Amino acid sequence: MAILEIKNVSKFFGGLAANSDVSFEMTEGMIMGLIGPNGAGKTTLFNCITGYYPPSKGEVIFDGKKMNGLQPDAVCKLGMARTWQKVRPLAKMTLLDNVMVGALCRTNSLKVAREMAMEQIKVVRMEHRANFLAGGLPIGERKKLEVARVLATQPKLLLLDEVMGGLNPAESDEIIQLILDIRKLGITQMVIEHDMKAIMRISDRIVVLNSGEKLAEGMPDEIVKNPEVVAAYLGSE
Amino acid sequence: MDFSVLMQAIVSGILVGGVYALIGIGLTIIFGVMRVINFGHGDIMMVGMYMTYFLFTLFGVDPFVSVLITMPLMFLFGAILQKVFINRILGSLPQNQILLTIGLGLIMSNTAMLAFTSDYKILTTSYSSSSFNIFGISISEPLLISFLITAAITIGLYWFLLKTDTGQAIRATAQDREAAQLMGINVKWMSILSFGIGSAMAGTAGALISPTYYIFPQVGSAFTLKAFVITVLGGMGSIVGATLGGIIIGLVESVAAVTISSDWKDVVVFSIFLLVLLIKPSGLMGKSRM
Amino acid sequence: MKPTNPLHSQRGASTVRVSAGIAVIAALFAFPQFVESPYILHMMILFFLSTLMGQSWNIIGGYTGQYSVGHAAYFGTGAYTTLILLTTKEIAPWYGMWVGIAASVVLALIIGSICFRLRGPYFVLASIAVAEIVRCTALNLTNLTKGAEGILVVDIPAFKIGETIITDFSSKVPYYYIALVLALVIIGVTWLVQHSKLGYYFQAIREDQDAAHSLGINLTIWKNSALVISAAFTSLAGSFYAIFVKFIDPSTVLPLDLSVQIVLISIIGGIGTIFGPVIGALVLVPLSEALRSNVITEGLIKIGLVSEESGVGIFLKEHLAHAHVLIYGILVVVVILFMPEGVLGYFRKMTTKKKGGEA
Repeated sequence: MAILEIKNVSKFFGGLAANSDVSFEMTEGMIMGLIGPNGAGKTTLFNCITGYYPPSKGEVIFDGKKMNGLQPDAVCKLGMARTWQKVRPLAKMTLLDNVMVGALCRTNSLKVAREMAMEQIKVVRMEHRANFLAGGLPIGERKKLEVARVLATQPKLLLLDEVMGGLNPAESDEIIQLILDIRKLGITQMVIEHDMKAIMRISDRIVVLNSGEKLAEGMPDEIVKNPEVVAAYLGSE
Repeated sequence: MDFSVLMQAIVSGILVGGVYALIGIGLTIIFGVMRVINFGHGDIMMVGMYMTYFLFTLFGVDPFVSVLITMPLMFLFGAILQKVFINRILGSLPQNQILLTIGLGLIMSNTAMLAFTSDYKILTTSYSSSSFNIFGISISEPLLISFLITAAITIGLYWFLLKTDTGQAIRATAQDREAAQLMGINVKWMSILSFGIGSAMAGTAGALISPTYYIFPQVGSAFTLKAFVITVLGGMGSIVGATLGGIIIGLVESVAAVTISSDWKDVVVFSIFLLVLLIKPSGLMGKSRM
Repeated sequence: MKPTNPLHSQRGASTVRVSAGIAVIAALFAFPQFVESPYILHMMILFFLSTLMGQSWNIIGGYTGQYSVGHAAYFGTGAYTTLILLTTKEIAPWYGMWVGIAASVVLALIIGSICFRLRGPYFVLASIAVAEIVRCTALNLTNLTKGAEGILVVDIPAFKIGETIITDFSSKVPYYYIALVLALVIIGVTWLVQHSKLGYYFQAIREDQDAAHSLGINLTIWKNSALVISAAFTSLAGSFYAIFVKFIDPSTVLPLDLSVQIVLISIIGGIGTIFGPVIGALVLVPLSEALRSNVITEGLIKIGLVSEESGVGIFLKEHLAHAHVLIYGILVVVVILFMPEGVLGYFRKMTTKKKGGEA
């Protein structure tokens, strides 16, 4: 059964279409790669899916429920969580507190939240940093903080917006491993990524956006061979 | 209601609005270039008012002539404030910037109180209460003169910002600070210039209204609030917007005073302010920056 | 980079802190038994009141990051409700203050529904505008508020439980205890907030509203909760002020200056901390009272720096008292430029720096 259905989603800003008529589906447990040149509308699509703004047209159906018009907090409570392209740590709070904020989405008890948070901090292997202020962590650790924080909200579907952006190869490898670990937990993931090698390695399926439209969809090895995709990338870079 | 009363209110509203526009332009330039909301703006104006008062009482300089002295002095005053205080907090949290300017305003108003007591001072010139009639509408002479001076200064400022290199550099800084810096514009210097110009505008407005307004240390806060209303109404950072906003607020105040009651005119002004904030926070001229 | 843990203290240190806290509270309760000077009691009352005001603001401003510069609206609502009910309906202040709190909570929800759509400087401006509307309204609704003339009460009815008179307010001592209890209550409430889901959500909103929103935090509900708590206690401070000073008018309980002073108490001490506003009140109250009561001028004369007959002496004696707000201005400039984390944060940094140096 599809956990997420994107049906003919369009988003207009003024007269400009940031997304037009995008449709695809995701099945439970899969990793979907979302790629496309800069300005292709990937982040806009994330924002439409997670409630930051309502799609101008079309529907987002998550777990059988129509999401249009729901606010981000409601979307999160229903089990869909996202990270940010530009990391947004709660700077003056510790790593543990950051993750606890996520966990508090599911509990009112600080004690329970702390336990849940520590569990997720273990998943991203940052126990040694638990009591460090988030604002002082290096970029690679801030990215992992964000992942731990959204995991603590106990999502069924996780949307990762360029979690590897700005990381060195060793850090990227760590994130790739993390994404694969998360898949083992049974969480479905949609991943925006610029690093082609990485996305080919982790994705079960890939959707390619270009100028706001869906250009192609398929298995990773189909996508690399798709002449339109190659043209779009060569044309833009 | 009597039509002529309404016409009268409209005419005085526009005349007062001209001076308001000057205050608003000062605030909007500072905001445009630095993204700092100057909560001490009215207090800077108050300094201009006292300057005018003492130039008049001690040296007999006519308030309208004194603009020639007040404007450069207030420019210097603002430039020093920027150099010594504001430039140090440009990168910090907006709330800290707000508090710093509040603090500077409190220092100005309370120093004035210490030096000149909190007594109301009145600057009476030979023409303070003179007026003439056109089509049965009486026009206050000092208000008309100050409106004309305001118009001249505003035109001068437009010319400066549009036609001179420095003016264009200021506008570039307002549009995109980082890009301006990359293009070799000395952004700190532009900030000093802008705060200087903003203060000069506020100080000049102070000079221009001193023949028709009470002068006292706390006079600033009411004008600070008015300046916010004007700039938000016009769109933060837009000079055209501030000019328009000043005149609209002058009109609203004066028309509300005759149609509703002068006690409630501030409530009307602030309600409009809230409405603008809620419906179109970018203001009337929101998109165009300077 | 240093591990810090501001939200929970370590166990060992906390027993010491708790016992020190209990000792201080006991000393404060015993204080009026040993000190009879009404002037000193007056200062202490102002200190407690400032703590209450600063701490109330701290919840919305310091923890939640919503810089309201319109808190005079709630202070004034509390003060006016209490005195209007007392003078016109003879309702005693300890009932009136609850009505005041209810009125302030309603006002807070209205203000919240308007202002919380806005962020950053626009929020600040909107909060000022709403407070100014409240002030103008109080000034003009002369039937209810007597406008600029203000409301004066001569007698505060005795505080009775059943038929037993607890106090008749004939000295400063009952005010001292009420103010002390209020200050302790708000400190306790802040502690509870900080050690509950509320505190985590408030701080998350302060740090990054969008991130908080994406983590399941309903911004409208939580921001309004913070404002309601803050407004209720600010209103209480207003009610207390009204029966303590026995006179209110729009220029003392509703002006923009008051809103600014409320913010400053918190900022100067250090926002988003339990003891920041206490420190802020501790710094500001004695300083501004010293200026107001001419202690500084008299001190200067006593140590012979300024002669009493000289022009400077006479001038300072006459005018310095009126300019006591000057100290707020100077302090806030110094704090923002040199210790943006407030006095408390500054000293904390200094001590951790030292410790870091040793290690």
